[in-house]
Amino acid sequence: MTDDSQKPLVSIRDLVFKRGSRTIFDGVDIDIQRGKLTAIMGPSGTGKTTLLRLIGGQLRPDAGTVVVDGQSVPDLGYRGLYQLRKRMGMLFQNGALLTDINVYDNVAFPLREHTKLPESMIRDLVLMKLEAVGLRGARDLMPSELSGGMSRRVALARAIALDPMMIMYDEPFTGQDPISMGVLVSLLRTLTDVLGLTSVMVSHDVAESLSIADYVYVISEGKVVEHGTPDHLNESSSPWVQQFLQGQRDGPVPFHYPAPDYIDDLMAGAGR
Amino acid sequence: MMTDPLQRLGATTLAVAERLGRGHLFLLHVLGGFPALLPRFGLVIKQLYASGVLSLLIIAVSGLFVGMVLALQGYNTLVDFGATESLGVVVSLSLVRELGPVVAALLFAGRAGSALTAEIGLMKATEQLSAMEMMAVDPLHRVAAPRLLGGILAMPLLAAIFSAVGVLGGYFVGVGLLGVDEGAFWSQMQANVDLYDDVANGVIKSVVFGFVVTWIAVFEGYDSVPTSEGVSRATTKTVVQGSLAVLGLDFVLTALMFGDE
Repeated sequence: MTDDSQKPLVSIRDLVFKRGSRTIFDGVDIDIQRGKLTAIMGPSGTGKTTLLRLIGGQLRPDAGTVVVDGQSVPDLGYRGLYQLRKRMGMLFQNGALLTDINVYDNVAFPLREHTKLPESMIRDLVLMKLEAVGLRGARDLMPSELSGGMSRRVALARAIALDPMMIMYDEPFTGQDPISMGVLVSLLRTLTDVLGLTSVMVSHDVAESLSIADYVYVISEGKVVEHGTPDHLNESSSPWVQQFLQGQRDGPVPFHYPAPDYIDDLMAGAGR
Repeated sequence: MMTDPLQRLGATTLAVAERLGRGHLFLLHVLGGFPALLPRFGLVIKQLYASGVLSLLIIAVSGLFVGMVLALQGYNTLVDFGATESLGVVVSLSLVRELGPVVAALLFAGRAGSALTAEIGLMKATEQLSAMEMMAVDPLHRVAAPRLLGGILAMPLLAAIFSAVGVLGGYFVGVGLLGVDEGAFWSQMQANVDLYDDVANGVIKSVVFGFVVTWIAVFEGYDSVPTSEGVSRATTKTVVQGSLAVLGLDFVLTALMFGDE
């Protein structure tokens, strides 16, 4: 058992995933260490969300292995998969709260579904989780009355309701104003440290991710281009990584979509 | 060039077969969630309210008018034969055997079926179903199963209310307006409507219709393309396919039940 705690919680090897004829992942290796906050970064459309769905077993890889806590996710049956998911939380990009029930019932939902706790205990647990995200006072609001940042915090409270071993964040900072962004950034770090959670965060917000992550993977075009601690990444010699981290408009990723020569293209219309 | 229409026919056939297969697998999975509903019957009650109680108004008003029209039309035919005392039988048999289950099911597809499809489609589009899966809650068991059972239970009740209100409508027009003898109206009805052959068969029909319409509605929602256009198309499909299924099945069931008389 002592050895087990040293092993990564999630270990992905030679992952290949195709959607139609498009290859999303082409031989990806990722390790996610226990109790750490791992960030997975990359440009939009590189399948970062797909990666979370592969870990959660909502999608199956075309090749390679996805092992979570010693269990191979693609090989799990219905029951095994649902047992495993009880120990994982996932925060969706828009929160994905159930819109027909209020904040309190949303956080209570997993507790009521999976436990037979008396309502008084569920109340205590829900209030504790809501207090952790600072929204105990908002428990009677409906999801439609919440701002984007608040929805995400409620969803976070719901995701930690069953005290999971791991939580996955899908673009937690996208579209947030500076204040709620700051709140979420510190919340992610605090939850990881205080609850001893293993956190996986998918993001393309460079500054925020580097400021809180323990370890970072950068994915592009189906491959891991660079990985290491944030400091290591900042010193990376790869021009691609530098362009991504600095947000330069031109570089290895060209500003222009591939096109014929500009002058030729313009002149081609002149004869009409 | 010649293979083009053939190819398209083949592709369409395959697509239809695949969809049918998916629909049946979906149904099996949903039915697997039924046992777990027993200890949590509140979930079904909620759906019974949403698709049953909220459909009451349209069902009752339609039933009233259908019954009134039946009485008018029936009277015009019967009066030529001097058989207007049979008006009660004509109205009640038409309602209990055919119009009650069928028209109520058509209205149900439009009122409750479309609402179910839109609700589940939007839950899918906003990732609520996906979020449930990740919370280890099977959306087919938690969302689809209570809705399906609710529909199966609501439909016969709605059809019965439709028929009852229709008979009342027929009574108002026949006895109140056209002057058919009240005693004959009711006693002929009592004597000629059989609990087994007529009422029970009507109930069986409406259970089948409720099952099929709700199945289609829930499946279309679950299988919809999660965009605003996709959900709107799925809602349309529910109403069209649900209504066609009801009419087609009605013929089959009628042939089976009353064919050898």
